[in-house]
Amino acid sequence: MNELIEYFVKNYPFLWGYMLDHLEIVGLATITAILIGVPIGIYLTTNKYLAGTILQLASVFMTIPSIALFGVMIPVLSVINQGVGFLPAFLALVLYSQLPIIRNTYTGIQNVDPQLRDAANGLGMTTLQRLWKVEIPNAMPLIMAGVRTATVLNIGIGAIAAFIGAGGLGVVIYQGIVRANTTMVLAGAISVAVVAILADFILKLIQKKLTPKGAN
Amino acid sequence: MIQFDNVNKVYEGDVKAINNVDLTVPDGEMVILIGPSGCGKTTLLRMVNQLETISSGSILLNGEDVTTLDKIEMRRKIGYVIQSNGLFPNMTIEQNMMIVPQLLGWDRAKKRDRFNYLMDLIGLNPDEFKKRFPHELSGGQQQRIGVARALAADPPVMLMDEPFGALDPIIRARLQEEFLQIQREVKKTILFVSHDIDEAVKMGDKIVLLRDGEVMQYDTPAEILNHPKNEFVNEFVGSDRVLKSMSLYTVKDLYKAFTLKPNFESKDIRTINEDTSLRVAISMILNQEADQLVIEDNEGNNHGSLTMDLLEQFLHKEIKGQEG
Ligand SMILES: Nc1ncnc2c1ncn2[C@@H]1O[C@H](COP(=O)(O)OP(=O)(O)O)[C@@H](O)[C@H]1O
Ligand SMILES: [Mg+2]
Repeated sequence: MNELIEYFVKNYPFLWGYMLDHLEIVGLATITAILIGVPIGIYLTTNKYLAGTILQLASVFMTIPSIALFGVMIPVLSVINQGVGFLPAFLALVLYSQLPIIRNTYTGIQNVDPQLRDAANGLGMTTLQRLWKVEIPNAMPLIMAGVRTATVLNIGIGAIAAFIGAGGLGVVIYQGIVRANTTMVLAGAISVAVVAILADFILKLIQKKLTPKGAN
Repeated sequence: MIQFDNVNKVYEGDVKAINNVDLTVPDGEMVILIGPSGCGKTTLLRMVNQLETISSGSILLNGEDVTTLDKIEMRRKIGYVIQSNGLFPNMTIEQNMMIVPQLLGWDRAKKRDRFNYLMDLIGLNPDEFKKRFPHELSGGQQQRIGVARALAADPPVMLMDEPFGALDPIIRARLQEEFLQIQREVKKTILFVSHDIDEAVKMGDKIVLLRDGEVMQYDTPAEILNHPKNEFVNEFVGSDRVLKSMSLYTVKDLYKAFTLKPNFESKDIRTINEDTSLRVAISMILNQEADQLVIEDNEGNNHGSLTMDLLEQFLHKEIKGQEG
């Protein structure tokens, strides 16, 4: 225990640097995933047949062990000389976040009371107005829950990305394993957990802010 | 004016919901669509603002075929009220009510004035409720807001699908009264769905009785009650139909129709105001509330006494169309 505290105190700038790397890759991947997943989720509500297929496909991605997905990406991306490093890790994280984001967006919009949709149509809203003014605001708690799940998931998976040279807190764990330094492994793991908890907490605050007062 | 011209609706799977409906809702009148559950009331209503397609025939809105109109634009000119009030939980009362004006691009001041005016009309304090959310209101208040929202951009036509159906009887009766009062002021052309014959009699200028998508009778409430066209109508309006029809007349109608007997001497006398409905008058007689009921007009003049005999004569005249 004392060793661990000592390690944190001594290596604080070193850990901090890796944490920033970690946040950068996870943050960029999650934002990209939101920009792709939310529109897909919304679109799927208008196409039930496609919805089943896509949601299944996204579930399949989730079941692939992350280490295997990284492994598959190396040869593919080697074609453009990006086999290891940032890009494969980034792409893998974007793929992993798709399921929670698409599914929650889809379910959230689908769960909006059909009477509200009917009222919106009856009052003369266009499809886009209905989406912006009624469906998305009322689906916001579920959409944000998906984003939170994706973020926490990515912070964890992001640690494994160190194995393909993407940097981040995984490096600390990886080096600890190589050097048989338990303290270092623990320090890395605890840092990842703390980042995940903090990120979830901050996203909860954002969720509160984005959710209209009457909708939940 | 809304005209239905040989309108049919067939849902997927060959469900015939509306069958050759011909109907006109005159300007400024409230027409009640009534009938058993599943007879096609909601379907007929929703074809007007094109929430449902029309399978064949046409619906004309002020002479124009609705299918030739721009859907979005048309809906903004038609007030739409549903049973579940359909208020958006994410918006404040003011935002909810001003949706259509906002979609139409009204400026701030105009919207605020309209909001205040409508809140006065439905008897709620604008400043108190403006910033509240729908879940912070009672069922009756929510439904009032739903009605006011439909009136927001002052549409000439209103479609109302069991607007008071989810409320408890006392609140429902109050909202019915209030809405009648509002309608006297705003004189909208209204198609109003109900499953409650008492509501239909109370609210309607005319009543359409539907069965399996077909019009069974289209008449004034008094005609429907006093002269049901067929066995179905007769059964639907209930065996107490004549008693129900008495709520359509007042004591005044009765004393205008006959020369009344002068009062006889008696100690146990009660007066009955000329605006009292005959249904209430009959109850007073049956309740034996007094030996004699003396009719009094709003100026306090005495118009003789009301008796069962007299009521019978009046019924005879109204229903059989002849003097008793
Ligand atoms: N979307 C739909 N698809 C198929 N059938 C429908 C649909 N909506 C209503 N119906 C059928 O049409 C008939 C009339 O329904 P509706 O207009 O809702 O009746 P009401 O409002 O009088 O209760 C019913 O038999 C109902 O089952
Ligand atoms: Mg209905």
